[in-house]
Amino acid sequence: MRAYTFTQPRGVREALADAGTDTAFLAGGTTLVDLMKLDVVTPARVVDINRLPLRGITLDRDGLHIGALERMSDVAADRNVRRDYPMIAQALELSASAQLRNMASIGGNLLQRTRCGYFRDVTTPCNKREPGSGCSALTGINRTHAILGTSDACVATHPSDLAVALVALGTDVHLVSGQGTRTVPLDTFYTLPGSTPHLENVLRPGELIAGITVPRSMWAANSVYLKIRDRQSYEFALTSAAVAVEWRGRTIRQARIAAGGVGTKPWRLPAVESALAGQPATADVFEAAVSAAADGARPLSHNGFKPALLRRTLVRALTVLAESR
Amino acid sequence: MTVSPLGRDIDRVDGRAKATGTARYSADYPAANLAHAYLVTSTIARGTISAMDTTAAQNAPGVIRVYSPFNKLGLRPVPGAGENYAPLEDTQIRFRGQIIAMVVAERLEQARDAARLVHTTYDEQTPRLSLADEPRVPATGPPGVPAPSATVLAPGVPSIEAALAASDVVVEASFHQPMQHPAAMELHSVLAEWNSDQTQLILYSGAQLPHTSAMVAAGRLGVAPTAVRLIAPYVGGGFGSRVFPWYDAALAAAAARQLNRPVKLVLSREQVFTVVGHRSAVNQTIKLGASRDGVLNAVSHVSDAAVPFVGYRWMQPAVDVSAVLYKTPNVAFDQRHVMLDVPPACAMRAPNEAPGAFALETAMDELAVATGLDPVELRLRNYATTVPGTDRRWSSKHLDDCYRIGAQRFGWSARRARPGSRVDGQWLVGMGMASAIYPGGRRPEPIQARVQLRDDGTALVSSATADTGTGATTLLAITGAHGLGIPLRRVRSEAGDTALPQGAPSVGSTAAASTVPAVEAAVEGAVAALIQEAVSNPLSPWHGANSEELTYEKGQLRGRGQSMPFGRLLTTIDRRNVEATATAQPGPEAGEYKFHSFGAHFCEVRVNRYTGEPRITRFTTVVDAGRIVNAQAARSQLVGGVIFGIGHALLEDDPLELDTGRVAAGNMADYMVPVNADIPAIDVHFLDRPDPVINSLGARGLGELGTVGSAAAVGNAIFNATGKRIRSLPITLDKLL
Repeated sequence: MRAYTFTQPRGVREALADAGTDTAFLAGGTTLVDLMKLDVVTPARVVDINRLPLRGITLDRDGLHIGALERMSDVAADRNVRRDYPMIAQALELSASAQLRNMASIGGNLLQRTRCGYFRDVTTPCNKREPGSGCSALTGINRTHAILGTSDACVATHPSDLAVALVALGTDVHLVSGQGTRTVPLDTFYTLPGSTPHLENVLRPGELIAGITVPRSMWAANSVYLKIRDRQSYEFALTSAAVAVEWRGRTIRQARIAAGGVGTKPWRLPAVESALAGQPATADVFEAAVSAAADGARPLSHNGFKPALLRRTLVRALTVLAESR
Repeated sequence: MTVSPLGRDIDRVDGRAKATGTARYSADYPAANLAHAYLVTSTIARGTISAMDTTAAQNAPGVIRVYSPFNKLGLRPVPGAGENYAPLEDTQIRFRGQIIAMVVAERLEQARDAARLVHTTYDEQTPRLSLADEPRVPATGPPGVPAPSATVLAPGVPSIEAALAASDVVVEASFHQPMQHPAAMELHSVLAEWNSDQTQLILYSGAQLPHTSAMVAAGRLGVAPTAVRLIAPYVGGGFGSRVFPWYDAALAAAAARQLNRPVKLVLSREQVFTVVGHRSAVNQTIKLGASRDGVLNAVSHVSDAAVPFVGYRWMQPAVDVSAVLYKTPNVAFDQRHVMLDVPPACAMRAPNEAPGAFALETAMDELAVATGLDPVELRLRNYATTVPGTDRRWSSKHLDDCYRIGAQRFGWSARRARPGSRVDGQWLVGMGMASAIYPGGRRPEPIQARVQLRDDGTALVSSATADTGTGATTLLAITGAHGLGIPLRRVRSEAGDTALPQGAPSVGSTAAASTVPAVEAAVEGAVAALIQEAVSNPLSPWHGANSEELTYEKGQLRGRGQSMPFGRLLTTIDRRNVEATATAQPGPEAGEYKFHSFGAHFCEVRVNRYTGEPRITRFTTVVDAGRIVNAQAARSQLVGGVIFGIGHALLEDDPLELDTGRVAAGNMADYMVPVNADIPAIDVHFLDRPDPVINSLGARGLGELGTVGSAAAVGNAIFNATGKRIRSLPITLDKLL
C-alpha cells in the first residue's frame, strides 16, 4: 500500500468535488482494500462515502429501490426482496461469506473487479491492470475464465452474482456526478473488454452509483438463482443462472434469463428467453431452449467444459423453478 | 476419588487462551526497538540476477537496510536440513518466488512499500518444469540413507511382469496428484532478538521440532547450537510446513545481528506458497494381479514424483503403502524422481502415504469391480498378518475389525454394487471405502520430559515437544495427571521452548507415543526424589526412615502409619518443589515388531446429475491406534485428517505454469481448501485397544492416519455414484459432466 489522502465527506456534492481519475470511493472496502494491498489499485485519494445518504430499501409502484450503500446482508434479509425478488436474495446469500456480506455495499458489488489471478498479481502482464502489457490468461491457467464476450485482450470473468440477477430483471442503475444525475440500464452499464479491458463500464471519472431500481414484473417473484462451483460456499461461480418465469398454468408465458461465470459481463440470454416463451415447462423444451445458450462462446485451454456446464446449469435452474410451482 | 483423565474427552488446557486471543503466536511477541522486515521474491523461475536497483527502496521512508545478493547476510545452508542453498548469497534464481531481497524498516508498511521499489533485471534461462517430460532418475532418500527397496518375488518368479502375466485378473491404472500446499493458518513468522553482546539469540518462530529448528538456524547463522533458543508454545498448524525452518528465521536473525536490534519477519500469504514447501506433484501407476476370487498375486507400484532442485523433500509414495498394506507373494516398486525448477517441497501430512494410498486404494476398488467382489470382502481376502514378504508381525493390528465395525456403523450393506443405481432427485448417490495405514511407532532417539512436584500441591510437566494444534500440551498434562494420580486441574504443562528438556518432535505421528513413556519415567523419577527428600530432610515426619517404607499413591506419601499429600510435605520441609528429568527410548521391541496405526474409511457422496458437482454427505472412519489418550483431541485429529483427504480428493490444486514456473493458485482465494459447507458430520470411532508392545499405556500415533486413504474413499464413492473413475486429482465437476 502506498500513501494516499483520505477524506470522509458527508454530502454527495462534497464527495464529488475533487474526484478524478486518481480517486477511489471506499464503501465496504472488501474489494478496494484487497486490491490496494496487492498494489493492483494505487489511488492517490480515497474518499470514504459511507456517510453519504445513499441508503434505503423501498418497494413502490415502480419497483424495488436500493441505495448504493446498503449492505449485501441487509438487502438479502429484506422481507420485500425475499418475497418479490427471491433471486436477488439468493444471489446475495450465495456470494462471498457472511462477514464480507455484512460489509460489502450494493454499489461496490456491482463495481467489484474480476477475480482473474493475473489481474490480481502485479508480477504478470494484464491488459486490464496495465493496458498494452498483454493477457496472461489467454495462454495461462484459465479454468475459471470467461467464454462469452471475450477478446484477444481480455478473458476475465465478471465476478458479481448480484449483477447477473439484476441484469435478468432489467434493472436500472442511477448515477450521480458533479454534472447531475443519469440513469442507464445495468445491462448496458457494463461494457465488453474489446481492446480496452481496463474500461469496464460507462461510469465517468468522479461519477458514483447512487442506487438501483429493479422494476416490478410478473416474473421476479417466480425466480431462482443457481450457482455452480467446486466449493459449496465462499467461491465465485464457475457458472450461474438467474431465471425468472411468468407462468400461465404449466406454460411459460415469458422468461428472463441471465448467466454468470461465463461472460466478461453479466450475460443476458434473450435467445433462450424467446425459445421458452409460450412453451410448456418440460425437460425437452428446456433442453431445446438452452441448446444455443453458449453460441459464440470461445473456450480456452482449461475451460472447455463451460459451454456444456452453462447449458446444464440453465436446465437445472429451469427444472428447479418448474418443480417449485 | 480421583478419576484419571486418560482416554476421556478432555478440553485443551490452552483452549481458553486460544479462543480468547490471549495465546501468543510468533508474530504476537513484542520487542523494544523492533524493526520489521519484508521479503522480495523472484519473478522468473530460472536464471541469474543481472542487476538489482535498490536505491529507491533504500531511500524510501523508514527504511533501515536493504539486503540482497549485493549486500549479503552471510548465511550458509545446513546439509540435510531444508533447502540446499542459502538465499541472498548468490545471484542464481532457482524457482519463481525465491527470496532475492529483504527490506528492513521501522514499520511493517514502510518495509512492504519499499520492497515494491526494488527493481530487478534477470538473465533468464528456460526453466525445467514438466513432470511428464523432464528426465526421470531413481528415487533417493535423505542424504546418506539408501533408497528403500521392498521388491519381493516369490521363489521361482523371475520378475513382477511375469507374476502379473500369470495372474487371472490384472488391473492397471495411472494416477495424478497435483502440487498441494500445507496452507497452515498461521503465517510463517519470526521475531529474532539477540542479547546485548550478541552471544544468545531468541527466535520466536513456530516449529514442529523446536530443538532441530534452533540447531538448523544456528548452523545457517554460523553460531553454536547452544546460542539459539527457540520459543513457540503456540503454533498455528504444521502439516509438515514447519519441520525444518525456512530461511525466514535465519534472515531475520542475521539482520538483527547486523542492525543490533530485534527484527520481525512475517511472510505474506502469497509468499508462504513459494518460500514454504509444498507436497510435490506425482504421477503413479499401479498394476494388481489377482486370482478370479480376488486373492492378490502381484502388486506393482511405480511413481514419478517432482523433486525441486533446491530440495528438500524426496517422495516415495509406493513403498510406504504398497509394501505393507496387503498380503501378496510378489510386490515391486520403481520410485523415480523428476528434478524441476520449482519451489521447495516438504513432508506434508502423510507425505508418501496420502498419495500412495490414493493410488493403491483406488486400484483396489477397480480390482473389486473386476472381480465382482465387495470392496470390504476383497480387502479381508488379502489381509496381511505379517509384513508382506517377511515374518515380521505388527505390535498390534485390528484393521479387520475396523473394516467390519466401520461397515456396520456406516450401513455399508445398503450399497449397490452397480454404479449409478441409486438416484435421489437430482442427485446420484454412491458409497465408497478405503483403508488407512500410517506408522504409529516411537521416535528412535531419546525423548525427555521433566516432572516437578510443587509445594502448592500442583505438578508441572515440561517437554519441548511442539503443540501444532494437536493437543500435545494437553497430552503432557493428561499423562502427568494419570501417572501421579492427581486431578488434571492440578497439573500444568509446557512445551515448545528449547529451554525445556528435548521432547518428541511433532512429525510422523510419533509425538504422543514417544512422549508418554518419557513423562511416565519423569513421574517415577519425581516420586523417587520426593521420597528421598522425605527420608533425608530433618523437617520431614519420615526423617530417618528407609525409602522402601514409603509408598506414593494418588498424590499422597504413606508409610509408618501416616500419610501426607506431597504439597503439604514440601511445605513442611520448606522445599518449593522437587523434580526429575527422565529420558525414554524404545528398546529391542522396536526391531522385533512393525508399528502401524490402521483405519477404515467409508464415504457417501452425491453427484448432481445436471452439473456434476460432488458433495459428501456422510463419512465414517474407524481407527485402530491402540489406546486413546485424549478422545476429544484424537477425534479432532482424525476429523482434520479426513477433511485434508476430502480437500485432496475434491478441491486442492495449484497448477504450475509450464512456461513461467509460476504457481497459479498461490493464495487462499485460488487455492481451494474445504469450507464447513463441504464437510458433513464425520463419524470417528476408535477401537481403543491398547497396544501391548509400544509403551505402557498402549498408545500409538494417529495424527496423519485420517489423511491416508480418505481421498480414495471419496473417489471410490464417486465411481459408485456415477460409473466414472477419475484418477487425476482433484475430482472436480468438469471431470464428471
